[in-house]
Amino acid sequence: MTHSLHRRGTRENLKDDFVVLITPAVGINHNDSKDKLIKILNKILELGPNNIGSYETGTVYSGATIQQIKEQLSETPRVRCCFDNPDKVEELVAFIKESGCGLSVTVSGLIDDVKAIAAKTDISPHSINLSLGTFGKTEELPEYVVLEFVTMCGHGMISSKLVEKLIDDVVKGRMSFEKAAMLMAQPCVCGIFNAKRAEELLDKYVR
Amino acid sequence: MLINTEKCKGCGICVPYCPVGAIKLEDKKAYIEIEECLECGTCGRNNIVKCPQNAIGETPDLYQRPRSIRKYFSDPMAYHVETRVPGRGTEEVKTNDVTGRVKKGEVGIGIEVGRPCLGTSYTEVEKITKALADIGITYEADNPLTSLMEDPITGTFIEDAKKSKVVSAIIEFTVPVSKMAKTLEVIKEVSKEINTVFSLDLITRLDSDGGIVVEEELRSLGFEFRPNAKINLGLGSPLREE
Repeated sequence: MTHSLHRRGTRENLKDDFVVLITPAVGINHNDSKDKLIKILNKILELGPNNIGSYETGTVYSGATIQQIKEQLSETPRVRCCFDNPDKVEELVAFIKESGCGLSVTVSGLIDDVKAIAAKTDISPHSINLSLGTFGKTEELPEYVVLEFVTMCGHGMISSKLVEKLIDDVVKGRMSFEKAAMLMAQPCVCGIFNAKRAEELLDKYVR
Repeated sequence: MLINTEKCKGCGICVPYCPVGAIKLEDKKAYIEIEECLECGTCGRNNIVKCPQNAIGETPDLYQRPRSIRKYFSDPMAYHVETRVPGRGTEEVKTNDVTGRVKKGEVGIGIEVGRPCLGTSYTEVEKITKALADIGITYEADNPLTSLMEDPITGTFIEDAKKSKVVSAIIEFTVPVSKMAKTLEVIKEVSKEINTVFSLDLITRLDSDGGIVVEEELRSLGFEFRPNAKINLGLGSPLREE
């Protein structure tokens, strides 16, 4: 589960934040899906994602290359990536639709924006996974500023302590926004952490 | 995970990377609180933490129960033996257009216990599964969590699971829309008893205009959903229309 529906933030700072997942259904259409995913990966590379990764290799922020991601696609492969531009997502969705590959595609983002992309590509979305929020001992959670960063990881791999340290490093002028965002992105192995959004959030908080 | 204290020079580079703060520094040596470590593997990834002494390695019993439960439910790079699906849950909405897991007239519920940030033990998860079992919930068979249940009818877990702490465990099931209100009420109530947090997901089909079928009912029950969500575009084949 990529948890991409639970990204914290405001409408404003979630505006250019899209996670795209292309997933063959295990036991239904996963056979021979590798070649289809390689074609889609080539298109993603052409468009220029903000982040991309795989469970096998890690992400481009931790040193993996698109070539390695392609070569190490598993028997039940998946592609996950992040974009910071709705036009790129629209072009990717149109490409996948046109290819007729039959693989499932989910897009996470502001509901209205994802629906707009679907409308432009003449697609009727099938189903939606909504976040109804967080319950339980929420008083033990880190402050909201930190949650905006850590919830960009699909699997909870980014430590709140790391985020707090990197924010502090940026505030004290010991590190650039770009480097702090890159270091935050590295523990997220699936590639859905939006480093550009992290830079923008850091910039906002430092100011 | 373990730190070889012979090799460790106490630089502390690894300390902030642990999602649950299990890496400590004492007498210029880093060490891992074995009971707190969830085996997510982050500290051992040399391309991320870059321990200059290469001092971080795996726990010797990592792939044997009960320790392996931590690994498979915490490290996204580890594949579940039971489902061949990586990660902690099922393909949920990701392939719903092809699997038909959540059909028209139903809602899918996902309760990701331990997220964000806090992690969870299975004794906490069991508080929720037992409460839901009391209203007759049938758990998603393909979810790896269900395979750890001693009795899915009562929602209890095997002893090895109850000795385990993990980054998160996802309780998944589907109910008819007619049962949504009661189910959410039970979830809200049991949230007051747990010693961690959970993130709550609700999957529903979209109508032909893209409308969220249960939107009004959710609002009337006091549930507001976030403005961002995960949407299945319906490009999968063969498409499940029902």
